[in-house]
Amino acid sequence: MATNMEEMLEDTVLLQCRVNNKPCELAIAPGTTLLELLREEMRLTGTHMGCMTGHCGACTVLIDGEVAKSCITLAATVQRKTITTLEGLKDADGKLTPIQQAFWDEAGLQCAFCAPGMVLTATELLKSNAEPTDDEIRTAMAGNLCRCTGYQSIVRAVRAAARVMKQLK
Amino acid sequence: MPHVNYGRLMPTVYVDIGALPELVGITEKDGEIAIGALTVHRTLQRDAIVCRALPLLAYSAAQVGGGWQVHNRGTVGGNLVAMHPLYDIAPVLLALQADVEIQAPDGVRRAALGKILAETSHGLGTSSLLTRILLKPMTSDAGWAYEKLKITAGSYGSANAAAVVSLSGNKLSTLRVVIGAVSEQPLDASEALHGLLGKPWDAAAGARVESLCSALPKTLLDDQQGDATWRRAMAGVVARRAVQAAVANAQRTSK
Ligand SMILES: Cc1cc2nc3c(=O)[nH]c(=O)nc-3n(C[C@H](O)[C@H](O)[C@H](O)COP(=O)(O)OP(=O)(O)OC[C@H]3O[C@@H](n4cnc5c(N)ncnc54)[C@H](O)[C@@H]3O)c2cc1C
Repeated sequence: MATNMEEMLEDTVLLQCRVNNKPCELAIAPGTTLLELLREEMRLTGTHMGCMTGHCGACTVLIDGEVAKSCITLAATVQRKTITTLEGLKDADGKLTPIQQAFWDEAGLQCAFCAPGMVLTATELLKSNAEPTDDEIRTAMAGNLCRCTGYQSIVRAVRAAARVMKQLK
Repeated sequence: MPHVNYGRLMPTVYVDIGALPELVGITEKDGEIAIGALTVHRTLQRDAIVCRALPLLAYSAAQVGGGWQVHNRGTVGGNLVAMHPLYDIAPVLLALQADVEIQAPDGVRRAALGKILAETSHGLGTSSLLTRILLKPMTSDAGWAYEKLKITAGSYGSANAAAVVSLSGNKLSTLRVVIGAVSEQPLDASEALHGLLGKPWDAAAGARVESLCSALPKTLLDDQQGDATWRRAMAGVVARRAVQAAVANAQRTSK
């Protein structure tokens, strides 16, 4: 007869991945979303829980450098992948990235609920396109909803970040 | 996943198909393009074969809502099997006359996507996998367009139309139109529009496309995207706009 422990293990998946550059190995229930794993198991609460339908973008993380909505991603599907959350962006000395700084300087956030998704999406955008047009910025950010700023200051922040990053190169 | 998050679906078993190599990749062989079911929207937008030979598909994949996050993770197989009336990919693949390959316990079956969609609007069940989508490259004289009527950049469509045309002089020699997001299933209007072949494309032809396509839906969606009366009217409008844009595209290509 199976012990409780055996039954429990039968119902779990062994997940191995990197989160914010740290290797992780965890036994998780197959239905665990990446959002639950990050917020509840790892206490990485910079990943926000919003609509839970994949529309709002507050739960955005980077999976192997590409944005994804963690509320509709099963954690078991990120086997051996690299996950970056907002907490993983800053330097070891705690300095903000140029994108985070630009969001601060240009008032690209007000209540900041959407900010993690906005900042991470801008991170993917500026990695592949150093000088995006306003249209390209809007297209890239379309998966993130903001209910405060009216988006103008967000576009301005991404533009400002692009300028700073170009100077740093 | 939204249904799981809200408790409308409570799966007891999850099957991860993400690591099956047979479902990955885009190839072109003997005049046929095969697209693996796990291909994500972002790859469709950028893949060299798709951009060259199936520009309508590359373009429409960029019109999918939900932003880059969804484009990076949403697969073409999942999009088709979900059989969601508002999704963009099925109307486009129907306009391109795609076949699909399905792996079932009793073997592999190849069938026209239109035939599969006519059999069911509830997915493929738990014992079959969609493995590949098979298409002929678009001809070099083809003009194409995808019109999506939507409220914001990231949203679902309220009426969509994919059009593929070719011209002989100023007359239509091919006309394929598929309308999505107005009925439970995409509507292939190509047969209804047969009478326009051999005729010039002008304002009267446009009005004819609009009225024939508005008359086509037998049942209509009536949801957050718009009520049934409006959806009927828009079915005609997006179809006319799509053909108009496809004709302009064909004229540009032939110059
Ligand atoms: C916020 C948001 C907005 C969206 N907007 C649009 C839009 O405007 N237009 C649009 O076209 N789409 C839209 N989508 C859908 C999206 O493009 C995905 O294609 C779709 O969600 C499928 O996702 P998936 O590939 O992860 O499949 P899953 O969600 O994993 O699967 C969907 C279904 O198909 C089954 N399935 C998946 N793959 C296979 C296979 N190979 N064989 C057999 N069965 C399979 C699964 O079991 C499940 O039942 C949107 C999604 C979100 C979250």
